[in-house]
Amino acid sequence: MTEHAILIRNMNKYYGSFHALKNIDLEVKRGERIVICGPSGSGKSTLIRCINRLEEHQSGDIEVMGTMLDENVDHIDEIRREAGMVFQNFNLFPHMTILENCILAPMLVRKIDRVEAEKTAMEYLARVKIPEQASKYPGELSGGQQQRVAIARALCMKPELMLFDEPTSALDPEMISEVLDVMVGLAEDGMTMVCVTHEMGFARQVADRVVFMADGQVIEQAEPETFFENPQNERTKTFLSQVLGH
Amino acid sequence: MSVSKSVSHDGVPISIFGAIRKKYFATPTDIVVSSILAVLVLWLLANVIDWAFVKAVFGAGRRDDCLAAEGACWSVIASRWRIVLFGLYPFEEQWRSGVACLIMVIVAALSCVPYFWNGKRLLGLWLSGFAVFYVLMRGGFLGLTPVFEQNWGGLALTLFIFAAVCILGMPMAIVFALLRRSELPWISRTMGLIIDTIRSLPLLTIMFTFAIVSPFVLPDWAVGDKLYRVIVGYAIFFACYQAEIIRGGIQGLPAGQEEAAKALGMGYWHRIGYIVLPQAFRNALPPTINQIVITFKETSLVTIIGFFDVMASGRAASGTAEWSFAHVEVYCFVALIFFVFVFSLSRYGAYLERRLGVGRR
Ligand SMILES: Nc1ncnc2c1ncn2[C@@H]1O[C@H](COP(=O)(O)OP(=O)(O)O)[C@@H](O)[C@H]1O
Ligand SMILES: [Mg+2]
Repeated sequence: MTEHAILIRNMNKYYGSFHALKNIDLEVKRGERIVICGPSGSGKSTLIRCINRLEEHQSGDIEVMGTMLDENVDHIDEIRREAGMVFQNFNLFPHMTILENCILAPMLVRKIDRVEAEKTAMEYLARVKIPEQASKYPGELSGGQQQRVAIARALCMKPELMLFDEPTSALDPEMISEVLDVMVGLAEDGMTMVCVTHEMGFARQVADRVVFMADGQVIEQAEPETFFENPQNERTKTFLSQVLGH
Repeated sequence: MSVSKSVSHDGVPISIFGAIRKKYFATPTDIVVSSILAVLVLWLLANVIDWAFVKAVFGAGRRDDCLAAEGACWSVIASRWRIVLFGLYPFEEQWRSGVACLIMVIVAALSCVPYFWNGKRLLGLWLSGFAVFYVLMRGGFLGLTPVFEQNWGGLALTLFIFAAVCILGMPMAIVFALLRRSELPWISRTMGLIIDTIRSLPLLTIMFTFAIVSPFVLPDWAVGDKLYRVIVGYAIFFACYQAEIIRGGIQGLPAGQEEAAKALGMGYWHRIGYIVLPQAFRNALPPTINQIVITFKETSLVTIIGFFDVMASGRAASGTAEWSFAHVEVYCFVALIFFVFVFSLSRYGAYLERRLGVGRR
């Protein structure tokens, strides 16, 4: 077992001729919780989506849970099994019930039988506090409930690592805390987490490290204490005054 | 009808006459237009009833009464219905053709039961129904006298062609649609070119090409019976249209759907089978039903290639000197058969749409 959950070395990503990520170096240890923030368009989503190959990087290395992310399809599958992902828009499967959403991948990918998969799914649904909605369809749930299901669905794969891409940005304000509570609980259980979010309260509470990005580069990274009280870079200061200032 | 359920503004139900008066006879212009149309409709209806029922001749073998009567000669149907339904199929064996048709109808009815609503069960149902249909029609084993394809006809042949085209064409359409959206440009372009080319040709041309021209081009072992060549041609034609319908359904999906499935580690075929296609078919249900209805109706084109489908058999039924005066009645009968099938198909489609809408909300 390697000590690192994620290891990114000198990674570059282009969309056509547009240089979206520039020489990214990033390490995430097992059990570590990282918050990534930065202005819109700075490449946060792109970075997190490169980690499970929803986007392909052009140069440099990405290693996840000791597996090198390269052209080998088995490696990609391996990494996707171990890294759960939660999206801004939930992306639940609308034609399946909540329970079916949660058992599909464990049954197909992990080859777990239905009874076992349903048992696990109900445990995680209880953990995100909506076991009673199991037989409903996503469209019948509120945004906050859907996002909690999305988290449960990812957890049902028993991942080693969870990636969050602005999980609360599409939610009505009154629903943000129910999702953050689940994420805090997950952090307390020792899950390795990489969260793109602008919830600075969450960052202070659970993050081991905050990473600030701008223009496709990692500008600065530090423990929350240092990051918020004593930012080094001018752009970090401007950004913080914008998100904290209001 | 909504008329009988109408309520006045204060919520009190009003009488049917009240509702009619309000809807159709409110202003002087309304009164004039409504009255003229009402008289016209009643007059037409009276004439049709008079022709089809009052002055009509029912019962088999009453040709002479028909010639004397002013009304419809339904006697021709009573005497010749077997030709319309079974064509040239040998008389003593026609029960087989009848049972085969019945089985196809049962299979169609069973596909309406939600239990069968997944790819595997639906395919299993149609393949086994189709196999039973084929064995019954063709015979040659289980003690059934063989009856070759050139003697099949009537409604049974129409149903056979229709079912075969759908069973063959639907999987082809899925494959075409997937190739069409392949990430490799040369695959998607080639598929696009093939689809667009075939769609720009008339169905009749395709049928002719496959029935008549293809034997000169194909090696002997691949030629097969003319009937099957026509079916393959028609199925490819169907698949090209249906592929574009499915592709439209796929494009209607948010990109996040496939990404979420990828992020869960699901492979290509799992993503296609469990996430993409089920939703694409839901999105594409109205045009798909429409395509199936059109396919059923256009089976009648095979008459031109010399097959005895229900349309051609109808013409044959009134084609003898004995009954030639009664061709209108025979066409009415054929039209009724088409209407029953097409109307139930489209009603079923409407029901499906309502029902599938539930999960989406
Ligand atoms: N699929 C894409 N094609 C082209 N450009 C893209 C694509 N996705 C993102 N970009 C560009 O890459 C940059 C970073 O985007 P993104 O990672 O979404 O930023 P963030 O998540 O930090 O807001 C933006 O300038 C965006 O316009
Ligand atoms: Mg983003």
